Amino acid sequence: MSDFDIGKPVRKVDNDIKLSGQAKYIADFHIDGMLYARTVRADCPRGIIKRIDIPVLPEGYFSVTADDIPGKNIIKFLADDWPFLAKDRVNYFGEAILLIVGPDRAKLLELAGRVYIEYEMIPAILTIKDALSNNFTPIFGSDNKFASYNYEKGDVDRGFSAAFKVVREKYSTGYQKQAYLENQGMIAVPENDGKISVYGSMQCPYYVKNALVQALAVGEEKVRIVQAFTGGGFGGKEDYPSLLAGHAAFAALKTRRPVAVLYEREEDTAYTPRRHPAEVTLETALDREGRILGMKADIKLNGGAYAGISEVVLQRSIYNICGVYNIENLRVTGAAVATNTVPNGAFRGFGAPQVIFAIEMHMESLAKIFSYDVLDYKKRHMAKQGDRTATNGLFYDEIKLPEMIEKAQEVSFYTSKRAAYQADPELHKGIGISLFLHGCGFTGSGERDIIKAQLKLRRKKDSKRVEIFAANVDMGQGLQTTFRKIAASVLDISVADVIFAYPDTDRVPDSGPTVASRSIMIVGRLLQKAAERLKKRWQENNDIEIIQDYEAPERIKWKGGESSGDAYPAYSWGVNVVEVEIDPLTCETSVTGAWSVFDIGQPIDEMIVEGQIQGGMFQGLGYAAMEVMANDENGRSRQNNLTNYTIPTAMDFAPIENHLMKTYYEDGPFGAKGAGELTLLGAAPAYASAVAQAMNIHIAKLPVTPEYIMREASENE
Amino acid sequence: MVESFFPDNLEKALELRQKKEIRPIAGGTDLMVRWRRPAGILPAFSGDMLFTKNIAEMNILQKKDTCLYIGANTTLAQLIEWKWTPRLLRLALLEMAAPAVRNVGTIAGNICNASPAGDTLPPLYALDAVVCLQGAAGIRELPVSSFITGPGRTVLKRDELLIGIKLFFPAPDNDMVFYKKVAVRRAAAIAKVSLAMRGSKKNGYVKTIAVAIGAVGPTVVRLPEIERLAEGKTVLNAELLKTIYGEYDKFIQPIDDVRSTADYRRQTARNLLHHVYDNCIKWN
Amino acid sequence: MSEIKFLLNGGNISVNIDPTMRLLDVLRDILGLTGPKEGCGEGECGACSVLVDHKLVNSCIMPAGNVAGHEVLTIEGFSGEMRYKKLADAFAGAGAVQCGFCTPGMILAAEALLNKVPHPDESQIRRAISGNLCRCTGYNMIVQAIRTAAREGAGLW
Ligand SMILES: Cc1cc2nc3c(=O)[nH]c(=O)nc-3n(C[C@H](O)[C@H](O)[C@H](O)COP(=O)(O)OP(=O)(O)OC[C@H]3O[C@@H](n4cnc5c(N)ncnc54)[C@H](O)[C@@H]3O)c2cc1C
Ligand code: FES
Ligand code: FES
Repeated sequence: MSDFDIGKPVRKVDNDIKLSGQAKYIADFHIDGMLYARTVRADCPRGIIKRIDIPVLPEGYFSVTADDIPGKNIIKFLADDWPFLAKDRVNYFGEAILLIVGPDRAKLLELAGRVYIEYEMIPAILTIKDALSNNFTPIFGSDNKFASYNYEKGDVDRGFSAAFKVVREKYSTGYQKQAYLENQGMIAVPENDGKISVYGSMQCPYYVKNALVQALAVGEEKVRIVQAFTGGGFGGKEDYPSLLAGHAAFAALKTRRPVAVLYEREEDTAYTPRRHPAEVTLETALDREGRILGMKADIKLNGGAYAGISEVVLQRSIYNICGVYNIENLRVTGAAVATNTVPNGAFRGFGAPQVIFAIEMHMESLAKIFSYDVLDYKKRHMAKQGDRTATNGLFYDEIKLPEMIEKAQEVSFYTSKRAAYQADPELHKGIGISLFLHGCGFTGSGERDIIKAQLKLRRKKDSKRVEIFAANVDMGQGLQTTFRKIAASVLDISVADVIFAYPDTDRVPDSGPTVASRSIMIVGRLLQKAAERLKKRWQENNDIEIIQDYEAPERIKWKGGESSGDAYPAYSWGVNVVEVEIDPLTCETSVTGAWSVFDIGQPIDEMIVEGQIQGGMFQGLGYAAMEVMANDENGRSRQNNLTNYTIPTAMDFAPIENHLMKTYYEDGPFGAKGAGELTLLGAAPAYASAVAQAMNIHIAKLPVTPEYIMREASENE
Repeated sequence: MVESFFPDNLEKALELRQKKEIRPIAGGTDLMVRWRRPAGILPAFSGDMLFTKNIAEMNILQKKDTCLYIGANTTLAQLIEWKWTPRLLRLALLEMAAPAVRNVGTIAGNICNASPAGDTLPPLYALDAVVCLQGAAGIRELPVSSFITGPGRTVLKRDELLIGIKLFFPAPDNDMVFYKKVAVRRAAAIAKVSLAMRGSKKNGYVKTIAVAIGAVGPTVVRLPEIERLAEGKTVLNAELLKTIYGEYDKFIQPIDDVRSTADYRRQTARNLLHHVYDNCIKWN
Repeated sequence: MSEIKFLLNGGNISVNIDPTMRLLDVLRDILGLTGPKEGCGEGECGACSVLVDHKLVNSCIMPAGNVAGHEVLTIEGFSGEMRYKKLADAFAGAGAVQCGFCTPGMILAAEALLNKVPHPDESQIRRAISGNLCRCTGYNMIVQAIRTAAREGAGLW
């Protein structure tokens, strides 16, 4: 493969199997003798389980309760609080209590409907406000917080005491559901020797494995996890598959038969994790010229009923609160609180979209107060190479934001349109720009201290083919292709000569989860290094196996306890412009243009990256404009299917025009950084800014629905 | 055990209707969703089903002199393509659901479903559509506005079937037509509010005007007596408009639900109403 | 139970089922055709799309009784055709496939469109796939793919 340009698109290796309908997703598996499981769920938000009556089950039907769990009835996350199956108490409407298992799905539905559960109700905590009010018995710990953080940089009090003006604003953001097209599902198959194999739709095979080892109280060798074709994840298949795999495995062990747990859209929408709703308060001290002297930020995330991974999500929120701006004096407090609602989890952006929205809108407010042009004002505060990050780390690498902004202005005509729309409010048009960054990879020292990724590369004797052994999954983002490209490119062989099977934990080492925009930058780098080592030994006439372990880049320094240092090894950058037109009769918004410029280092495949950008920005626009999810008085989601949880169709937004600003990141393969999550972050603030201009209103909330716009506009009158 | 029947003519179908409790199913796009159960399980229909698709008399689509006759089984997609379909109705059909649903869903299904947000209803009300019902006692013809009595409720008798609808042609519109569906997104969405208007002018005078508003009450709102206040006028002065709007306000009684709020619906319906009276009628 | 006969992917088929059974269940569970997917089960997402008499329908809300005597085409049947090949190449070339879950439905939606309108403009394409949700791609690359197929597949449709 001479003249190999790593960015040049190749035909994705899995196109044909997917296009022709031959790809087997988990619901497409057919296993002889397979049973189905139906979940019986709590129908109250909080209570003590007083009694469970299970109807007499016909032959061949089983129930599986907490008592059937051989090991620990706790899903392995950071805190030990989330049970696979509730035993004596329930903490959210829809929490799984037991499973009814058997061959006929109609019969299961009927039997599950006849299970009777009696509760002693406990007053439920449904909002962030309730969670911190002291009026309720805490759900978690003594303060009802899954995690709380505070850190400070510079001298905030001095900044505030010198202030000419202090501006305090509150922003809030709602739920967002991943709404991958394929619902969650797992099939567990009991093997002869007490071993269990689990197949399913997932992002993190080793998370699932580790969860099962603990729950089944067995040795590592007794659990095998295999990823099936996965119909989208976006974070939603990071945490929850562990629970689902547990259910399938308990049932399979009890019945000695393969058992499938396949969610319906309704279960998936209503009862699996979503993006955390957030409340963000920003208080900024300014001098006479509007320069920022200091900022106090407070972030509250609604974590739902169990800790899950909320703590890590919160970390990303609090460490990204400054967006792209260099704030020298900063005090940040943050908490993830417990409520009697579905536990929230990972979703593309992972705590960042909430705060990027808040800081971008806040910067706009500050500019307006001092009658500055919004973009000029933002540019004045932008961080440069060598500046300190929010956590007093360093921006080591070049920051190309000025060039990116220029490009975005050039392609979108932002500046002239902004002025024209401002001059004529009757047009009801607006255009907004957002600047943002994304810390690539795990927050803090996660890679070094917790994940410790390992990857294996093998070439057999007398073969020219090379096999990659890694636990990272393709869920649509193209890893099957990009990993092969990296190996092929280093080894100078064809992509077709690289084997990369869907991960099977019996075969692959733990190269970590497929999350945090880390697969290319971190694991891809391991792959590149392994391939380089293999290349040196290419002439050997033996089986060659290369094991590559993660080594943290030397320049990175992080003190987790103090929230101080380099929270991320590298940053990707973005500029988005969104243009809208609003129908004043209905306050419906048309997105008439969308432009983006991204710096993600070197793209490993330009077309795959383009796909990430198009899809990510689209999800961001959905988050901004139409995806409403809210709870009823029982903490139960009012949206429970794709009819009432509406995601964008092909007719909703103008096509996105995208440009890449190529840079080179020395610790990424071929210079690549993370790309997957960044793409979602900027759409919402750019959209909100455009709507704010079009209707001359202030926007403090996501999603920006016509209902919200109309209310704000009428209050303005 | 649910039994299904596939009569191929009206006589057999009506005989079945007379004999037993049997539910008509046309495209099934409403029924299959309403009674759906999880994958692999039959829908939860409780009684026998009468598949209407083979009933020849319901598959008619024809223009006869000044009357359009649209057989019950005519699909939404067929109506979009039919060259005689009134413009106002076509505008609504184009924004209904998505192609796959329009290929299957029928006009009878949308009418009999009687949803306050049913998209063909405001145009049908505004076009003075007549529904043709046939039962043991023979045929009756009613204005669609008398056929529908509430959400999901119609005056269809147990032994009757809706066999078709009639529209007058040329519809007394075609000077002025306005249709607006307000929904969460551009396709595949149920209306939060919708408004259909047709009207005509002669020598500067308003000759006819019909305005129908969907999803703001238990049934589509159309107020012929109020429309008549505008008829014969060249200009609608502020005072008259105030009276007109005041009357509509009494009937614009929307609800909060998962799709929108009562406040938003009320305000949007008013804005659209003012738009059609102020702009379309007053100035055209 | 009734005997339902129809043409499936070019061959005659007869199944003895309750006619209210969803066509999707007939295809997936009884006939083992897993190309049509279930994404929502209520007509909202298009993952279960098949063609009935060359028209796009959602098989998850189609009672099997309604296809009696008609012609059903699934991705399994269509993937043998030249027109499929043209669409598949265009999808691959435009980067229109990510997780793939919506893809068989999208291909059939494109086929239904091109059958009727061989040279669609962008808005016709968007309208034609407006009932086929895709959460991965943001649709633009799919729209491009369909344009390319239409352009390069001259004569096929
Ligand atoms: C995804 C999706 C999106 C949709 N979007 C929209 C939308 O945007 N706007 C909208 O208005 N609707 C929408 N609908 C609803 C539905 O598609 C329409 O109401 C359609 O016209 C129903 O027609 P059908 O033939 O499928 O009805 P069916 O489900 O067959 O029947 C509906 C009702 O009519 C009765 N019925 C049918 N035929 C007769 C007859 N001849 N005599 C007496 N009773 C009869 C049935 O018994 C039943 O009560 C949507 C549905 C889906 C699944
Ligand atoms: S599964 Fe049929 S439309 Fe979604
Ligand atoms: S490619 Fe994943 S839903 Fe379309």
